[in-house]
Amino acid sequence: MRAMAWDGCSGEVAGRTEKGLEVEGLETVIGMGWKRIWKGLFGGKAEETGLVEMVEHFQELLDDHQSLMELMADLGEKSGGEYVFDRKYIEDSMGRMRGLLLRLAENLNLIGRNRYVGLYAVVDRILLQLEGDLRGRVALSEDMPLVVPLSESPTDHPELTGGKAEALACILQRLRFPVPDGFVVTTRAYRRFIEHNRLEARIHGWLESWNRGDMELPQVSRQIRFSILAGIVPSDVAALIKRYGEKKPSWAVRSSACGEDGQISFAGLHETVLDVSPRDLIGAYRRVLASLFSVEALSYRRDMGLLGEEAAMAVLFQEMVPARVSGVLQTLDPVEPHEDRMVFHYVAGPGRTIMEGKSRVQSRALRRSSLLDWEKAEEPLGRDSRGGREEAEWGTDDLLPPEVLNELGKWGLALERFFKQPQEIEWALDLSGRSWILQSRPLVLQGGAAEMRHDVSQLASRHPVLVKDRGTVVHAGVGAGVVFHVRKEEDLQRFPDGGVLVSPHASPWLAAVVRKASAILTEKGSSAGHLATIAREFRVPTLFGVEEACSRLRAGEVITVDTKQRVVYGGRVEELLIFELARDGSFEQSPEFRLLRRLLKRIAPLHLADPQSPDFSPQGCRTVHDVLRFAHEKAVEELMEVPRSLRHSRRLRLWELATNIPIGLRVLDLGGGIDPPSRGDKLELDRVTSLPLKSFLEGLCGRGLWSTAPAEVDMKGMMSSLTKTAAASPGLEEMAGFNLALVTKDYLNLHLRLGYHINLIDARILPGTERNHVYFRFVGGVTDITRRSRRAQLLAEILSRHDFRVEVRGDLVIARTGDRPEGEMKTILSMLGCLVAFTRQLDIELRSDDRVEDFVRHFMEIQGRSNNAAKV
Amino acid sequence: MAGQKLKVMVLDDEPIVCKRLQPSLEKLGFAVTTFTRSLEALEDIEKNQYDIVITDLKMKDIDGIRFLEEVKKRYPRSEVIVITGFATLDTAKESFKKGVFDFIAKPFKLSEIQEVVLKAAAKITGEA
Repeated sequence: MRAMAWDGCSGEVAGRTEKGLEVEGLETVIGMGWKRIWKGLFGGKAEETGLVEMVEHFQELLDDHQSLMELMADLGEKSGGEYVFDRKYIEDSMGRMRGLLLRLAENLNLIGRNRYVGLYAVVDRILLQLEGDLRGRVALSEDMPLVVPLSESPTDHPELTGGKAEALACILQRLRFPVPDGFVVTTRAYRRFIEHNRLEARIHGWLESWNRGDMELPQVSRQIRFSILAGIVPSDVAALIKRYGEKKPSWAVRSSACGEDGQISFAGLHETVLDVSPRDLIGAYRRVLASLFSVEALSYRRDMGLLGEEAAMAVLFQEMVPARVSGVLQTLDPVEPHEDRMVFHYVAGPGRTIMEGKSRVQSRALRRSSLLDWEKAEEPLGRDSRGGREEAEWGTDDLLPPEVLNELGKWGLALERFFKQPQEIEWALDLSGRSWILQSRPLVLQGGAAEMRHDVSQLASRHPVLVKDRGTVVHAGVGAGVVFHVRKEEDLQRFPDGGVLVSPHASPWLAAVVRKASAILTEKGSSAGHLATIAREFRVPTLFGVEEACSRLRAGEVITVDTKQRVVYGGRVEELLIFELARDGSFEQSPEFRLLRRLLKRIAPLHLADPQSPDFSPQGCRTVHDVLRFAHEKAVEELMEVPRSLRHSRRLRLWELATNIPIGLRVLDLGGGIDPPSRGDKLELDRVTSLPLKSFLEGLCGRGLWSTAPAEVDMKGMMSSLTKTAAASPGLEEMAGFNLALVTKDYLNLHLRLGYHINLIDARILPGTERNHVYFRFVGGVTDITRRSRRAQLLAEILSRHDFRVEVRGDLVIARTGDRPEGEMKTILSMLGCLVAFTRQLDIELRSDDRVEDFVRHFMEIQGRSNNAAKV
Repeated sequence: MAGQKLKVMVLDDEPIVCKRLQPSLEKLGFAVTTFTRSLEALEDIEKNQYDIVITDLKMKDIDGIRFLEEVKKRYPRSEVIVITGFATLDTAKESFKKGVFDFIAKPFKLSEIQEVVLKAAAKITGEA
């Protein structure tokens, strides 16, 4: 009985061979490639040919996989702002992606004899969605919600949720600042309302009459508003509003129109209804919808040339915050934007009194650079002859405690960093003393006000340049703050708000503080890695590959990082920061970047992490990345079946590797991977010409590396266990100790079954960097799951320190790296050899979590020594 | 100081190109004017001289070649940089090498175009 297949997770795979033989009829649907392979495995000389073809399909799949990963990385890189691209670039890239994806699905089915035909439909579905995004059909699409809670509201669909709700969703989900609970009734619901009440043609007709001059504006506005107020909200929309609305006693109902609070300011044109009880929500919803056609809104849209475009309104419902103080924070002083000043205007009580002028408005100002009170700071005000404010204008009352001002100021700067524009933030201090952000919109600076006092082209003559022309741009922008070095995870807890993150590696765990950083600089790292994705998501100016960043930038010093020009200045270069805010705007808000980000959301996220989960199926693939992952994993799985088939082969020439380690490794050469000896079937190490295998074996068999191994893992014990059979587990005998390397000159597909765990390494090393990759998969162990998981953690830690992208699920570790030059790849393979030997039986030793760290340290030491030895 | 700034015109019917290029060149000390409609740009050069003109190749109304000719006819010393899609880069180079300072293929890095513009500026100020 073969209860367990050799990778421990594919019992179905084990039985597949027999099924394949029995069901002759299947042959018609079985791809020709597999048929040949099949014949090959059992058919004499053709045996080798079939295997060669299978590996060829596999390599082609890996190539396409790689090209798609690169395309994905390229799209990601373009979303970082360093490149100028237009819509055509996006369209062309999608065309390429389509071709590659279809071929990937085809190759997988050739390798896996059409066991994955379901993947074609999935690829089609994803491609259709991408196409829909390209054509801007998003808001109309049926899979978009009618009503969505703010905490789940999408952050890249302003045409669905409107600018105001989108900004709040970003603040809540990305920056995680307190925003009153709420939900958004989307533009899809608006369209349903219009359709349901058959209003479209009538509204169009009235607007036409106005355009022709047949009707006056006030009359047109009144007609349309009345017809909306008299309309019936479709029952599904109404039910959703009721359901969400029952959760809180009192609501603010606000407009969130497309373009509002975004590129075009509709501020104040649409209606806001405050203090609405749950039973009045539907009425308030209609009022806000109707305000889309107020006299002011209509004339504004006509002036902006927007009348021809279909208007649509999303409506935001937010819990009312009972306010002790409420006000507005302008992160730049609109009167004097070149000053280092942010401005607060506020009143006691709820915010509407500001607008209604019922209560005395007070004003305060803080320094942007220090968050110190403008009044109390050293520089005197009021002597400015160019129309500056009088000193007395900024109060110092105690309505707002200093810590509240400070907190709001910090939030303001963080919002500004994120949105890349000065912000006008409505906020409230509630009765319990907690601060809330109610809304935030770009602060519009009047033409002349944005003129610069200083010439930003001459910065280097006024500010010390600490770093210049180093590194690659991950996200373009300018940020300033205090340098904070992060070397280990514990450092993260002390990371200051607005600090500049400086680290030797772009390790994925740094992602935890990206949200708080004003800029990121690392000495190493890939702009396609996880940290890069997160930095772009949070729009943090980021440079990777800045040599000597850690030594040149001292912890605690204030610096200004301009990643657009790849310059780091000492001190805070206020004129540059303000230039960015006032003149450069935010490329992140442009339609091209928004489109690219939307597409990336259907492309880049990975949901299929665990190959053992039931979701790991074609149907479970939601993104392009999922498809890539699935196809790669399944192709690897198919290939892992090969050693089983070969085990009994008497025809294929399998070489037994002669090593000082009893590893029992057989080598099957598929072309240029070995220099075959003239006699015998033993292969000496120096006859291995396959670059990846050679490098791997150098690490695995490295002499002198083990002399200082911890007592618990002495070499003798470890090596004796290398050949330990797995007889204790039924069904495993067959494969135990049979280790196989399929090689060519530059390729290695290595199957290791050492003791109780299974390891697959797939690698290619070519002279360039683009086609190089290493895939590492490790599962199993002899002890309980806790210790096995610790070993997985240990592997993950070591691999991520070597810049692998690592995923861990229980005792399964999957790690990938690539795009590295030949020399680095050799080092990586050698490190993997070392690692395989090192972690061999470690799960037994991993009695506590602390030990993981000990062993990581120990391994890094060994590695260090071995690298030094190699250099000598 | 403002009088000494070199004047740059950016003409591309994709607003994003103008929006990105303007601040990025201003940062280098150029006075930048942008146009998304070629006819308006054409009208403008009747009155105003630019030291450096950056134009897209494929546009509505007048294409980049025509615009280059119009600029050169009026101001032979102005330098013209042509932006073109990556696929058409070679054809573009072939078809009108004459008079073009340099070509840039889309998508391009801001630093690439900055470099080319600085070279053009060096040529102009060196000549002056």
